[in-house]
Amino acid sequence: MIKYIHLFSLLFCSLVTIGLYGQEEDFRKQAPKPGPAPSIEFGEYEQFKLDNGLQVIVVENHKLPRVSFQLLIDVPPIKEGEYVGTADLAGEMLSRGTASQSKAEIDETIDYIGANFSTSSTGITASCLTKHQDKLLEIMADVLYHPAFSEEEFEKIQTQRLSELSLGQSNADFIARNVGQVLRYDEHPYGEILTKKSLKNITVGQCKEYYSTYFKPNIAYLAIIGDTNLEQAKKIAQKYFAKWEKGTVEKEFHARPLPPIESEVDFVHKDGAVQSVINITYPVNLKPGTEESVVANVLNTMLGGGMLNSRLNKNIREDKGYSYGVRSTLRYDKYVGYFSAGGSVRNEVTDSAIVEFLSEMERLTQETVPAEELKSVKNYIFGSFARSLERPETVAQYALNTARYKLPTDFYPDYLKKVSKVTAGDVKTMAQKYILPERSHILVVGNMGEVADKLNRFDAKGKVHFYDLDGQAIKDENTEIPEGVTAESVITDYINAIGGKDRLTDVKDATIELTTSVQGMNLDMTMMRKSPDKMLIKVDMNGMTVNETKFDGKKGYASAMGQKQEMGEESIEEMKLQAPIFPELDYLGADYKTELIDIETIDGKRAYHLQVTSPGGKTADIYYDLENKLKVKTVAKQSNGNGGEATVTATMADYREVEGIKVPYELTSAGVAPFPITLKVASVSFNNGLDANLFEINE
Amino acid sequence: MKRYSLFFSLLLMSCLGLRAQENQINFEEFSLDNGLDVILHQDKSTPIVAIAMMYHVGSKNEEPDRTGFAHFFEHLLFEGSENIDRGEFAAYIQDAGGTLNAYTTADITCYFEVLPSNQLELGLWLESERMLHAKVDQKGIETQREVVKEEMRMRYDNRPYGSFQTEVMKRAYQKYPYKWTTIGSMDHLNAAEEKDYVKFYESFYVPNNAVLVIAGDVDVPQAKEWINQYFGTIPKGKGVIYRPNIVEPDLNGEIRDTIFDSVQLPGIFQAYRTPSMNEDDFYAVSMLSTLLSQGESSRLQKALINEQQKAVAVGNFVLDREGPGVTVAYAISSAGVSIEEVEAAMDAEVQKAMDELISEEEFQKLRNQIESDFVQENTSMFGIADNLATYKTLKGDANLINTEIDRFMAVSREDIRRVARKYFKKENRVSLHYLPKQVKP
Repeated sequence: MIKYIHLFSLLFCSLVTIGLYGQEEDFRKQAPKPGPAPSIEFGEYEQFKLDNGLQVIVVENHKLPRVSFQLLIDVPPIKEGEYVGTADLAGEMLSRGTASQSKAEIDETIDYIGANFSTSSTGITASCLTKHQDKLLEIMADVLYHPAFSEEEFEKIQTQRLSELSLGQSNADFIARNVGQVLRYDEHPYGEILTKKSLKNITVGQCKEYYSTYFKPNIAYLAIIGDTNLEQAKKIAQKYFAKWEKGTVEKEFHARPLPPIESEVDFVHKDGAVQSVINITYPVNLKPGTEESVVANVLNTMLGGGMLNSRLNKNIREDKGYSYGVRSTLRYDKYVGYFSAGGSVRNEVTDSAIVEFLSEMERLTQETVPAEELKSVKNYIFGSFARSLERPETVAQYALNTARYKLPTDFYPDYLKKVSKVTAGDVKTMAQKYILPERSHILVVGNMGEVADKLNRFDAKGKVHFYDLDGQAIKDENTEIPEGVTAESVITDYINAIGGKDRLTDVKDATIELTTSVQGMNLDMTMMRKSPDKMLIKVDMNGMTVNETKFDGKKGYASAMGQKQEMGEESIEEMKLQAPIFPELDYLGADYKTELIDIETIDGKRAYHLQVTSPGGKTADIYYDLENKLKVKTVAKQSNGNGGEATVTATMADYREVEGIKVPYELTSAGVAPFPITLKVASVSFNNGLDANLFEINE
Repeated sequence: MKRYSLFFSLLLMSCLGLRAQENQINFEEFSLDNGLDVILHQDKSTPIVAIAMMYHVGSKNEEPDRTGFAHFFEHLLFEGSENIDRGEFAAYIQDAGGTLNAYTTADITCYFEVLPSNQLELGLWLESERMLHAKVDQKGIETQREVVKEEMRMRYDNRPYGSFQTEVMKRAYQKYPYKWTTIGSMDHLNAAEEKDYVKFYESFYVPNNAVLVIAGDVDVPQAKEWINQYFGTIPKGKGVIYRPNIVEPDLNGEIRDTIFDSVQLPGIFQAYRTPSMNEDDFYAVSMLSTLLSQGESSRLQKALINEQQKAVAVGNFVLDREGPGVTVAYAISSAGVSIEEVEAAMDAEVQKAMDELISEEEFQKLRNQIESDFVQENTSMFGIADNLATYKTLKGDANLINTEIDRFMAVSREDIRRVARKYFKKENRVSLHYLPKQVKP
């Protein structure tokens, strides 16, 4: 069936190629073999320390007449609360004027020498042609020692940042990154992002305070890279950075954030979006320089770490055509790292793409990686490492990591040896530890109207959570619980609505007959319940009983087509919730726990959402209509007897009065069969004097 | 600082001559009988090689009812060949520890690999397969069409101001095939038939329309042997290669329009019709562009962002094209500032460049910036390979990698004022305003 289009005419190929060149062309049939592998020389670097504690790294490389200076202040995570952005703005303020030069003057000099120069909350980076380095270093030192922190410049960047934030928030990728950070890190400082509100709270005084607290040489590193040498670097460090005074920097303690207990779908609406940006993310406890970080690199490269041929790209781009490109990150960090997988996909396939992301993640935790694929990924890492050494900045980065994270000095020089030792077993173990498809924030930034509804199924609670552009949960007025309404009041209202406590307590047994049609076959169902906890359900087809479920209050069985299966502990607990004729009568007792969760919309009508936990620890979500107080839906996990679980949803409608009690005449059940089943009630009767031995179970 | 300027510039001049020699990019150049141009640059400092295979075909070579074809083709040519199965192309490179990619512009399509140096032959084999007998099946076409549509949504439709290129170009040109963008039209891609693919491949993917560059840790005699083996027997293209020979008429009056987009801040995109990269004035225009927007002290950044705070972002770039060019200037308004105010401020800076000769000092700054950029362009093996290929393909002289800076240095202050007056007139531009959607009347 595959139709080949020969881009080069087949005729031409067969005549000319084979006819004229014959045997000679055989070399084209197979990939050529590689030559002997070149040795990868890890670049040399030098290191020394100034008296004030500043650690200096020197990487010499004279290929170009350029030199770069990277000053990194290793500031520990700080909680900024309602002043988020202080550090960020402080960093920007550094290049906005010193005691002796205005911003315009600094800019003029920097551009005059054709240099790059930027300051941030964690340091200063600068580069230029070697011949201009003194001019550049003078500015760098001036900025480091005498920043002006002028009120006027501060107001300018405050206004500018406000506009930049608006600009960013028009961009779905920006939103996905920001909100992903908030969700992932929870209360940790890493989860704090600049907002329009926090921006307004910050003062120039706070920025100055940040600078004088954290810009200390004893927590700083200076990398001098390029057209330089040790002797020159020592002179530079001495001349420009030795006067920098050291000081004590306190570290705050912050609890490490954990992945969510179960997956949740978080949605940010973007007007008119034609693509959804997906970001599946959670924090990980992966430390730099560990053996685990080496395996993690192999694992992530395989999944989606930059290769055109990664599993995610192969599946989602090359096989399905859902995206221009997808990727994953598994990032180590001294405090808390993260996992993230995502990309941009068109609206219609957002849910299908999430299925593929999650299944690729799952597959890594379940299946052992084939040897060929592992080898290929390792080769890719070897090659990437070799390619990265082309830039002297790479060597500086490795040297910096070694110093900063206190790694053994051979960690990077021996990196490839460590990679080559990674086994398929290591990869699987690491996947089981760090790849958590069932404990993710599944964040989607996109078109709510076209996309959001289809994503409910990925949320463990079956419902998408909505967030604003700053990552704050959106409270829907319609879902705010009114004052005075409690779980108890909802249950009491329901009891009163269907007939009142007295009338319900008088019912000692109930028989309900229902009919339904499944795939063209008519089924009759009889449900009998006897107070307090006995139940019998029979399903008949053409007068034959095909299914029977019986529960005597303590034990039970289910039989289908003559096959009888005793109920396990799990099922017994589930039956205890189902067997009472009016279970709500028990909910208010001390044995049950009830919690009013929120208000949700069910079939266009608002309903209170209650969570009920039985004495045996089984929970069910039950929904009661806000207006008529009647029960409209229940959701419960039901074990399937094979160790698995299914979420079973029952909805009730068409309430009619029988002997003064309201009973739903239409029941729809989803989750038991591959399709929803709607049952119609044929008759309801109470107090028929059902015999107890109907429910007896013969051993 | 002013005191030193004369001394400083003298110093710079002398340094420049010295350095330019030191950082000479040496290369060897030859052609095969079938017309394939080959350039080899040896640098053994890292055990890697970069291969750039550049075809002189871009979106301007497309049929007007098949726009987007050159770029789509770039995607298809990763699908496989007579001897490479679908999806194996990337696998070979990955298994070898390499990386690969490609890009398409209005003028060229470039495929490249960076590999450990012992895998050079593999890269050459893959590129020869791509040139000789690429193959793609229906599934490949369907999938890549979806992928390209996603690329279009990501880069153009779902990105704030992302449609500016499409909107600007279709107004800046009436006839020349730069009037459509490389991403092209999805309807055209949907309409493509087998004969379109065959024709495009047979016309443009031929050795006499390509330049092969190898840069890095390469054994030159061995590389030559392989190049002869893999490429020497590939037949020369038979037809005449289509190069649009279309004269684009002058704009003759400013074109103004408004686009409503999902953005929060208004934006402006102005396109001035400027010379092609092969005309002398191109260099003066480039320096004018540097003057206007490179660095925090540049005219537009300093005035609009730092002093007047009217804009949150400004920029200016010259599209380096072999056909009739454009220079795009853009700005995004600060919150609460109208786009008219921003445009007036931009126009004032352009007017200043027309009216006043720039100072010696500012002129020296421009020259220093150009020199620094020139040095930085050649930091990686891929960068060098790509530059050599581009100079050869579009300007016919690979050695411009060493000498093009002289053309910049030949530009005078008067030239900069002259090109400002000649090309940066209102009647020679398109001015597009982007406004937030909800403002739409």
